Amino acid sequence: MKRLLLFLVSLIAVAGSITVCRAETTLEKISQSGIFTIGTRTGSPPFAYVNKNNEWVGFSIDLVETSILPLISKKLNKQIKLEKKESAPNTRIPLLTSNAVDLIAETMTDTQSRREQVDFSLTFFATGAQFLVKRGTPIKGIQTIAGKRIAAQQGSTNAKIIRERVPTAKLLEFPDQPAAFQALSQGQVQAYTNDGIQLAGLKAKAPKPDEWAVVGEFFSYEPYGMAMRKNDSDFRQAVNLGLMEAIESGKYFQIYEKWFGPKGEVPYPLTPEIKRFLEMQVVPK
Amino acid sequence: MTYNFDWSVLWRGQSALWLLQGLITTIELSAVAWVLAFILGISSGALRTVSITPLRWLASVYVEFFRNVPLLVWMFFWYFAVPPLLPQPAQDWLFDHGAEFWAGVVALGVYHGARFSEVVRSGIQSIPKTQFEAAVSTGLTMAQAYRLIIIPIALRLIIPPATNESLNLIKNSSVALTIGVAELTFQTRQIETYTAKAFEALTAGTLIYLLLCLAIATIMSQLEKRFAIPGMIVKRQTGEL
Repeated sequence: MKRLLLFLVSLIAVAGSITVCRAETTLEKISQSGIFTIGTRTGSPPFAYVNKNNEWVGFSIDLVETSILPLISKKLNKQIKLEKKESAPNTRIPLLTSNAVDLIAETMTDTQSRREQVDFSLTFFATGAQFLVKRGTPIKGIQTIAGKRIAAQQGSTNAKIIRERVPTAKLLEFPDQPAAFQALSQGQVQAYTNDGIQLAGLKAKAPKPDEWAVVGEFFSYEPYGMAMRKNDSDFRQAVNLGLMEAIESGKYFQIYEKWFGPKGEVPYPLTPEIKRFLEMQVVPK
Repeated sequence: MTYNFDWSVLWRGQSALWLLQGLITTIELSAVAWVLAFILGISSGALRTVSITPLRWLASVYVEFFRNVPLLVWMFFWYFAVPPLLPQPAQDWLFDHGAEFWAGVVALGVYHGARFSEVVRSGIQSIPKTQFEAAVSTGLTMAQAYRLIIIPIALRLIIPPATNESLNLIKNSSVALTIGVAELTFQTRQIETYTAKAFEALTAGTLIYLLLCLAIATIMSQLEKRFAIPGMIVKRQTGEL
């Protein structure tokens, strides 16, 4: 027993003193391996998902492929391969800090507390939390969910807000979107909250889109950014430059049109305010 | 570039309370599921050794079906596939009263019952056949022989593998987070969401599981010493672990 205790104590001591050391910068790492690894989603249409042809595609992935990857290849003067890994709200920060991925490009909201752990790129999309319900249910927004069973995605900012603002709502958190939607369609929950654009995506992908409605005013502001390891300004500069060039050249809006235009996967027109906001993030050369 | 550890996130704010709530849910979930697994395990384990073929078959089908499908699938099965078979009012009542918890209990209990059944069967089969024959020759019926002689002896023999199964059950209870049960692993993720400190939260969760399992292992080893049958199982040496 004594030996075991000693072992446990030393285990804890070792765990406490580990510092994840990393000598090289992200660009050096990419240059050495020739591989640029991003963490992204498989079930968040249209930002990142596996489509009917079993291809891993989406708006966020397109942005990386057409704007950031070429810029990094040019900067390092060699052909860089893009690799995608699955990330989820609760694994994305560990994935970054453990060097398993170099960039999180999916649907991650930029927040102040997250900025203490990771650095964010420019905002590449802005939305807010709403509810997905069966058409005709009495839930009309955050004011009407008291006592109701509400699903949320675990690790999301929306769940946090509901817990604070409507503590009487019965919040059920699921690790991923498909499980939450399954619970909603079977009646385990009466509404599913997530960022409005994601709900619009789910509705568009549902077998009968007309049965569903996205309701409520935005009850949060969710600016999406791409996350990377902290204090790596050369890499961050490369990511931001890629995004700026995409917005300035209009490539961003072509990609937007492809996914969110009238014929896109999820029709979600760009408002003039958001368009202006995106353009104003581009600083002069 | 280094990761800055900040262990204070574990007691600042609500973290400590969440961990405690998670621990309680984990214990509740595991305890109820364990009782279910124990009952199913003993009955099906015993049935697998009887001479009545249909009963033996029934128990074999249960064991092979439930232990050979991943636990995660059983979680989804009991939570998503079973409730729609019930009438609407029953469904609503269930969903309002923690359906996810009970789905988790049944998934864990039935799955581990099948695994526990094999432990019980091996215990029974390790008892010399003459024991059963002697019991029957004193005038006991087969059911009485099992209830009064065979199963009590088997239970005393199988404490070490049963401990193993019980610890597995506790650790497997974390799979219930996939259907939204707010158990210990769920709460460590919750802390990670609020504080963005993943390593600290996971370490806390790990230590709690470790301590919980160590406590149970210690109790079980005491039980084992107390109930060892001289001559049938080697009594564990006292002293060093």
